Amino acid sequence: MKSSYAYYPGCLASLSQKELDTSTRAIAEKLGMALVDIPGFTCCGAGDVHEARPEYYLHLNARILGQAEQLGQDTLMTICNVCTLNLRQANKKLQADPDLLERVNRNLKEVGAASYSGGVEVRHLLWEIAEGEGYERLKEIAQRPLEGVKIAPFYGCQILRPSRLLGFEDPDRPQSLERIIEACGAEPVDYPSKIKCCGFPIVLARSEVALGELIQPLAEAKEAGADAMVTPCPLCHLSLDAWQGKASREADMEFNLPIFHLAQLVGAAAGLSYDELQFKRHVVRTYPATDKIYQGA
Amino acid sequence: MVRHDVVVVGAGLAGMRAAIEASRYGVDVGVVSKLHPTRSHSGAAEGGINAALGNAGEDSPEKHTFFTVKGSDYLGDQDAIAVMCAEGPGDIYELEHMGAIFSRMDDGRIAQRPFGAGGAPRTCYAADITGHVLLHVLYEQLVKSGVTVYEEWFALDLVTDGERCVGLTAWDLVRGGVQGVEANAVILATGGLGRMYRGTTNAYACTGDGMSMAWRAGVPLKDMEFMQFHPTTLKANGVLITEGCRGEGGYLRNAEGDRFMFNYAPNAGELASRDVVSRAEQTEIDEGRGVDGTVLLDLTHLGAKRINERLHGSRELAMDYAGVDPIEEPIPVRPGAHYHMGGIDTDVWGHTIMPGLYAAGECACVSVHGANRLGGNSLLETVVFGRRAGAAAAQDVRRNGMGGVFSPSAVRVTERAITRMLDVNEGERPYVLRQELADVMYDNAGIFRTAEKLETCKAQVTELRERYARGLVVQDKGRTFNSDLIQAIELGSMLQMADCLVTGAIARTESRGAHSRLDYPDRDDENWLRHTLAWYGDGEVELDYKPVTITEYEPAVRTY
Amino acid sequence: MHVTLKIQRYNPETEEQSLETYSVEMNDEATLLDTLDAVKDQVDGSLSYRKSCRMAVCGSCGMRMNGAAVLACKTPMKPIVESGEVPVVSPMGNLPVIKDLVVDMAPFWAKFRAVKPYLEEDENPPVKEWRVQQEELDRVMTEALCIQCGCCVSECNSMESDPDFLGPAALAKAARFVYDVRDRGGKSRLELYNGPHGVWDCTRCYFCNQRCPKGVHPRDAIAKVGAAIYQAGMHSDPGARHAKVFVKSTHKTGYLLETNLVPETVGAVNAIKDIPFALKLARAGKVPNPLKPHSANKLDEVRKLHTLIDAQEKAARAEATAGPRRPPEEAQAKESE
Repeated sequence: MKSSYAYYPGCLASLSQKELDTSTRAIAEKLGMALVDIPGFTCCGAGDVHEARPEYYLHLNARILGQAEQLGQDTLMTICNVCTLNLRQANKKLQADPDLLERVNRNLKEVGAASYSGGVEVRHLLWEIAEGEGYERLKEIAQRPLEGVKIAPFYGCQILRPSRLLGFEDPDRPQSLERIIEACGAEPVDYPSKIKCCGFPIVLARSEVALGELIQPLAEAKEAGADAMVTPCPLCHLSLDAWQGKASREADMEFNLPIFHLAQLVGAAAGLSYDELQFKRHVVRTYPATDKIYQGA
Repeated sequence: MVRHDVVVVGAGLAGMRAAIEASRYGVDVGVVSKLHPTRSHSGAAEGGINAALGNAGEDSPEKHTFFTVKGSDYLGDQDAIAVMCAEGPGDIYELEHMGAIFSRMDDGRIAQRPFGAGGAPRTCYAADITGHVLLHVLYEQLVKSGVTVYEEWFALDLVTDGERCVGLTAWDLVRGGVQGVEANAVILATGGLGRMYRGTTNAYACTGDGMSMAWRAGVPLKDMEFMQFHPTTLKANGVLITEGCRGEGGYLRNAEGDRFMFNYAPNAGELASRDVVSRAEQTEIDEGRGVDGTVLLDLTHLGAKRINERLHGSRELAMDYAGVDPIEEPIPVRPGAHYHMGGIDTDVWGHTIMPGLYAAGECACVSVHGANRLGGNSLLETVVFGRRAGAAAAQDVRRNGMGGVFSPSAVRVTERAITRMLDVNEGERPYVLRQELADVMYDNAGIFRTAEKLETCKAQVTELRERYARGLVVQDKGRTFNSDLIQAIELGSMLQMADCLVTGAIARTESRGAHSRLDYPDRDDENWLRHTLAWYGDGEVELDYKPVTITEYEPAVRTY
Repeated sequence: MHVTLKIQRYNPETEEQSLETYSVEMNDEATLLDTLDAVKDQVDGSLSYRKSCRMAVCGSCGMRMNGAAVLACKTPMKPIVESGEVPVVSPMGNLPVIKDLVVDMAPFWAKFRAVKPYLEEDENPPVKEWRVQQEELDRVMTEALCIQCGCCVSECNSMESDPDFLGPAALAKAARFVYDVRDRGGKSRLELYNGPHGVWDCTRCYFCNQRCPKGVHPRDAIAKVGAAIYQAGMHSDPGARHAKVFVKSTHKTGYLLETNLVPETVGAVNAIKDIPFALKLARAGKVPNPLKPHSANKLDEVRKLHTLIDAQEKAARAEATAGPRRPPEEAQAKESE
């Protein structure tokens, strides 16, 4: 864990998933992480711009990294899987190829944007609190253990794969979320599809395919007795939460599975209130899981 | 029962090239292969394919011909070699037009690098995965051609009407059961037989099935005693490290760090011909200058960039199977059984002595490699003579139809033989014999041979054939994907082919190319400038000889 | 070393299924394939699996170990033995099982054939080779490494949900031709990959990249094909329209225009059908005000950047579509014809 980060919330946490941004800022304060806002950051382009316009994607991300560097920060913190992979992939590419970096910087200069020297590391919040000093701090602030709450970890894809670009943990047997769930005093629930896809990237363009993917983790987690699910990705969250009703109808199963953002889980254990963590901004009602948490207190 | 005008057995480079060519003549073509085409062992070829394009230096088909003749230790038929070398460039351009990703020179032409004993930078390549690239290009073309492919059909026996080949029987591996495959022309392109040796670069599939089918049908096999040992194979599992490593400037060193090759080939050094390099390595190892049974292939001076660009695949293989990163340290290598120069006796159009039966590629012996093949010539042989065999078969069929009578009893005979194999419940398991054969061959019919060793080998092979005939236990009694059965049949082929190899080797009392007799260290042109023919004589090997075709180049002393 | 492993057995003739444990003595260099060979030879000859080259180039021995697709011949056993684990070996996923570890590859090859897996050649090729720069070939070299083993397909999350998805192997093959300067397929080739079950089916789970034993990075190849389709102006598929919203968002407001995403991806009519769903989201505060879009600072930088890159890409495309050159002597002869 660092004492300060260039903070990159990405689009969703700035828009529909505002509760993620709010919760992240709240727990960062408790953890002792200074989050330095990046003025003028934009969307990382997600998988879409990355796919459709790879050159533009590269420049967008170089611009963000350059802005972080301009703030004097050597680490940029993300709270979204897609942002993490996008920024890390661009970063690796730029760091490995001086000619490319020079060309990109020429373009950035031409439009008046900050250039990038290659000196920033991109890290997801999950990694910062799943080991080392961050994990110790997490255990310290988790003053209200979520006893008896069974939480299913859902990793999402782009924080695990490709491990060549992410590489924090074994992509087939990740343990970071489980460690955090345990540190929060809750009980991690194991199920096979915790490392699989939620279908979000194609939930609009190929809704049937996406729902087919989405049903699997919801059904398995429910079957394993989870009270709630936690994910480090706001896109997985949107899929698992907002599209849960559709998945439910498609599968003809009642899921009613509350989906927590990682920062909300940590915040709840750190004593932050239901309102502070904005649980009411979820589509799937978070009680009875949140009742267990807050009535237990 | 299926029928086609032309049926190709085997779907490596030669087989697919033959099928594509035959289909261009408008005849109905089928391909029978025990593997899916892209699983064929041609894909493991690494270094490249020769043709006198002259892109990287002065070259000509004539020069290519001369160095191939010399490399063959004058046993190659010079008319056949001239055909291959003259037509090679056209075949390379065709492959390029089909989409083969050949590595390039700065001006956009196909790059070429020197290979051992070639006399010019003549080897075109796709990094060090040339075989893979060509195999996939030809499969693409095969798909485009619409030819019917019977994947995972294991060819069992040729069917003749007493005179002509009229098809074959095959075991459908996935569904089980013997299938009759009727054809006006059959082209065998089944590859090599390296699996009879311990320490081979060859895939598990290289078991000499096609050669053995032809032999049993009464077609002679030529120059079977000539087995090439590749100088650079990995110790643990025999995996090939390409000659391209030396073509790119790699060194061979002994335990003392000396580049010993200059003691054996003062001019060519590491780029002498394969038989010379393998013998030199084995001598270093035998005389105590090896490193744990190996010598060292040193690429470290080439640098990471060149290794990654040109020899990426070799680096991966060394890391995966020897635990060595060639950028950092030398690769321990030793000679391993690699390529079989001999095979089904054919003319330059792939015709065998049996009407309706053709052969091309490693299973055939045209002969363009003679006693020793030059690196980069085998891929060339597959496309040139695969094309020619395909054209000849199609033209022959179009010209005279030539349909013989495929007797349905052929299928029943084969079925009964399979049932007999499956009915054995007591006795030895095939793997025991397979391992013994591999050891016997490597120890006694390897790089250095003597009468004593070869006689031992013959005796043991004979004994193994007897044990095989007594019946082995195939434990899998089912019909679906019974690989236990297939492996037992493959073993039978290997035993027969081992017998042909060692019988020919005993008789040949001279040293020529890859056949190196310590008791007869010199080449003997007076008595042995001739091809060995191995005929089927009621299960036994009967030897016969035929002259070598010499046109331009009189046999001369061969030094490098 | 002593190797113990569990193998998922299936006998189609009796329809028996079981998980069997086997132990064999192996040398330290042994791979999973070597171990299976030892089991087949010494313990049970009826065990079926495919193999051939044992050097990771023929693509026969794809299977799963502990649920992850691997090439058996490229998987050393020593680390597993040392970890004390007893691995479970099972057939690849997303393909029907024939027997034991052997799967039916027919659906795999059907998709391969569906992508027009060969170069669309120029009708009038030169006598000699096309003049092609190494850098131009390097664009397809990664995809050309593919050995069609199926490890990517085994793990494809989209294919689990849509079995007709062309999938990572076939689309990587497609990329190998889309980016070959010698290919004359043009838009008609791209059309093959643009429709239902094409590139826009990919859910970006990156399992294919993770599992590929040859470093082909199939997901990246799919993205390359998507880029070619998008940049060819083929925006009819909802997947391409979805991407278009993102591209537009970045230089309109700097942030994703979430409210545009639904109508512009699925069309206004479908969006209206989904109004109850939208209202549910709105109740939770999940629908940002479309009239007052949140906008990034220094947006002019991004807008200029977009324009600049657009121009550069157009120039690069113009150069690429010029295609390979004929040998100078042949080009001259052709001109004088």
